[in-house]
Amino acid sequence: MIQKKICMLGSFAVGKTSLVRLFVESIYSETYQTTVGVKVDKKAVALDNTEVTLVLWDLYGEDDFQKMRWSNLRGASGYLLVGDGTRSATLSKALDLEERVRKEVGALPFVFVINKCDLAQEWEIPASFEAETAARKWTVLNSSAKTGKNVEEAFLQLTRKMLG
Amino acid sequence: MPTLLHRFLLELGFALLEYQGGGSFVLLTEPPGWFKELWGAPESTEAKIHLAGKSPFLENFLQDAESSWKSPQPAEVQSDMWIEKSLAGREVPLQATALHLDGKRILALRSPDKHYREHSQLLQTARNSALVHEELLREIQKKEILLHCIVHDLSQPLSAMRAAFECLSAESVNEKVKGFADLGKLASEQQESMIVGILQAFSADLHTSLEGARDANVSPDLLACATAAMTTLSPAFEVKRVRLSFVPNLDGQADWHVAGEETRLRRVFMNLLENALRYTPAGAAVKVGLEQGGGICTAYVDDQGPGLPEDMRPAEIFALLSKGKEGGGKAGLGLYFCRITIERWGGSIGCASLLETGSRFWFHLPKAALAADSVPSPERALSPQPGRKTAAAQRLAMKILFADDQEDIRTLTTHQLERSGHKVLTVTNGKEALKAAQGEMFDVLLLDEEMPAMTGVQVAHAIREKEAASGGHAFLVAVTGNNTVQDRDRLLAAGFDAVVGKPFRMEALNNLFRGMETLRNSSAGAIEQDAPVDTDPILVLSQRVNGDKQLMKQMINTFLHDLPGRLASLRKAVQRKDAPELATQAHALKGTLSIFGAPQAHARAQELQDLGRSGDLRRAGQVHDLLKEEIANLEENLRGYAQQASGAPRSKGAKPQRPAGNRHKR
Repeated sequence: MIQKKICMLGSFAVGKTSLVRLFVESIYSETYQTTVGVKVDKKAVALDNTEVTLVLWDLYGEDDFQKMRWSNLRGASGYLLVGDGTRSATLSKALDLEERVRKEVGALPFVFVINKCDLAQEWEIPASFEAETAARKWTVLNSSAKTGKNVEEAFLQLTRKMLG
Repeated sequence: MPTLLHRFLLELGFALLEYQGGGSFVLLTEPPGWFKELWGAPESTEAKIHLAGKSPFLENFLQDAESSWKSPQPAEVQSDMWIEKSLAGREVPLQATALHLDGKRILALRSPDKHYREHSQLLQTARNSALVHEELLREIQKKEILLHCIVHDLSQPLSAMRAAFECLSAESVNEKVKGFADLGKLASEQQESMIVGILQAFSADLHTSLEGARDANVSPDLLACATAAMTTLSPAFEVKRVRLSFVPNLDGQADWHVAGEETRLRRVFMNLLENALRYTPAGAAVKVGLEQGGGICTAYVDDQGPGLPEDMRPAEIFALLSKGKEGGGKAGLGLYFCRITIERWGGSIGCASLLETGSRFWFHLPKAALAADSVPSPERALSPQPGRKTAAAQRLAMKILFADDQEDIRTLTTHQLERSGHKVLTVTNGKEALKAAQGEMFDVLLLDEEMPAMTGVQVAHAIREKEAASGGHAFLVAVTGNNTVQDRDRLLAAGFDAVVGKPFRMEALNNLFRGMETLRNSSAGAIEQDAPVDTDPILVLSQRVNGDKQLMKQMINTFLHDLPGRLASLRKAVQRKDAPELATQAHALKGTLSIFGAPQAHARAQELQDLGRSGDLRRAGQVHDLLKEEIANLEENLRGYAQQASGAPRSKGAKPQRPAGNRHKR
């Protein structure tokens, strides 16, 4: 069976762990529990009659307290870049992270997920950001780990890109 | 039969394994409980365990480990913490360390359960606080937008008022009525202009525009802006019979171009002049002065009013919606506008009562050429270039390395620095400071004088020695609890550019940063220490942390938690007549006490430190007892506050908090 490593990247409290948990275990919790260290999960998916085991590396959100180790991305086939639509700083951070991944690891397939679309009325996405992601030709999905919107879709789109 | 060492490792929860190649290991020690829970117990001591196949994280880490093992000089490699899930669903935190011992490739695995829980709790608290902070900033922004809307609505009737006055003055009325109509028309025009100014300012705020501050060619002339504002407001001054003029001997030929934008700078002068007019009685005078030096221009407005309210700090006077009860301040926006505008351009603003009567409102702004220099392109911002010292000196948002071994001082100082917009890296001793300074460029290095591993003075020596060979000049500031002139001279001679007492006032430090270039060249650093006027420790702390209650609670809890240990160390040093240790312990305690003001306790700690340094400990016991008494009072007060803050009833005998009192806002 094909196995693909996927890393979850993004600022803290954007919902990386919630997305993985919903995707793998179909569980969602309202309580924010910060991730310390790295959690690895697996989930088998079928895509166009191909069975793929996704090895999901849920990495801690980078901030002043925890700095990212690029060695965690070694062997990754792709990554899910996550931002929080209610916090514009996390979107800028996503732009920065993508550049750093390209520099440190090389160009990898990724999908950018703007999470928490259940709070769309509180979203603060600058027009400049939308222009930037369009210019970079990113695949962008609005998701919600709370309602489940586009969660599976995000992982499947990424898998499709990785299988290329 | 396991050896004592093996049992010891087992007790600590370590699994020690020797690498056999191909991702396989043999256990060197009996496996701890978590190991068996995750991967089962091996059948025999020689049995190979294919760990790489059991854990993707470990498989990845083995690549780093193997690189190290293959290296001619293998170094210890440690992994991130990671989580493995047992069959029962329990999450087990793990950390791996790869070592090369006696020619063997060793992997030490352990489950840092307690450390993991503590670390998680700490991170959770920090990140929750960060989220609350972000939320607060968003709320403030929303309120400013609301304010913008309100101000906009207020301006609507003004057009009708102005038209009405115009119609009235066109009528055939006597000169007196015509004069009143003209005055009314002028006032409504001024008010309309003010509202437009405020709207523009808020609009500019929301878009965080720095336009105008970047380009020296379009930078405003301070003198021209002051003159324009004085001309506009002269009718109002005349009506109130207040004389308005420049101070004598103003240099009209000098270059007064500063950072900023002309319309808003005129608005700043207008607001300061209106404020002065409001409080100055008829027949008195308001004077405007301009000065420059060291790359900074200063403007001030002196009034002859009653002076500043005694119960208000200058920072409160410039706060949003702060307004006076006496003298009829308006919406509380004028001075707030001045502050945000001046600070946005890299300046500072303040006020003080004058010696005889009245008050002075002043602001500093960088000169235009320097200001343009001080707004670096993003790629240049964190990597100062040779010959660009002036830019670093003038830039307000500094990249600062702060080294101090005391956690409470680190917390407080980091809070103060970050609130001022600086980016801060903190380290806990001199060695770490030196390492950080060699790896990265910083605008300023704030070094505690007394730290373990390497003192601030030793770090300064090391840096200056390196600079002597390779060039450059790092800006070194000594942070010290030793505040005599001799201490200052000693530290300056040791290679520091400046000396600050701790804890310091941010304003003093920011002023120091502005004068960095002058100090760098003159070696005339100044001791600046916050000497709180208040003696109530809660008020002093509250002022230091700008009323951040969460941080206050954290600092008080840290103090109360550390206090027994500090007192025990001090007592031991006294009992053992260990003079150097007494000086060290008293010094550390003194630094902590100064966070809360606590002048009596601080003085006793200083006395003990001096006794320790002199080696004459005859009075040490007596002073120690007095210090304990002072600390007991402080502790009681802080515990009272901590209980009150957590909702518990105050302990018996705890001193009541000082009431907020009636604020006489300006």
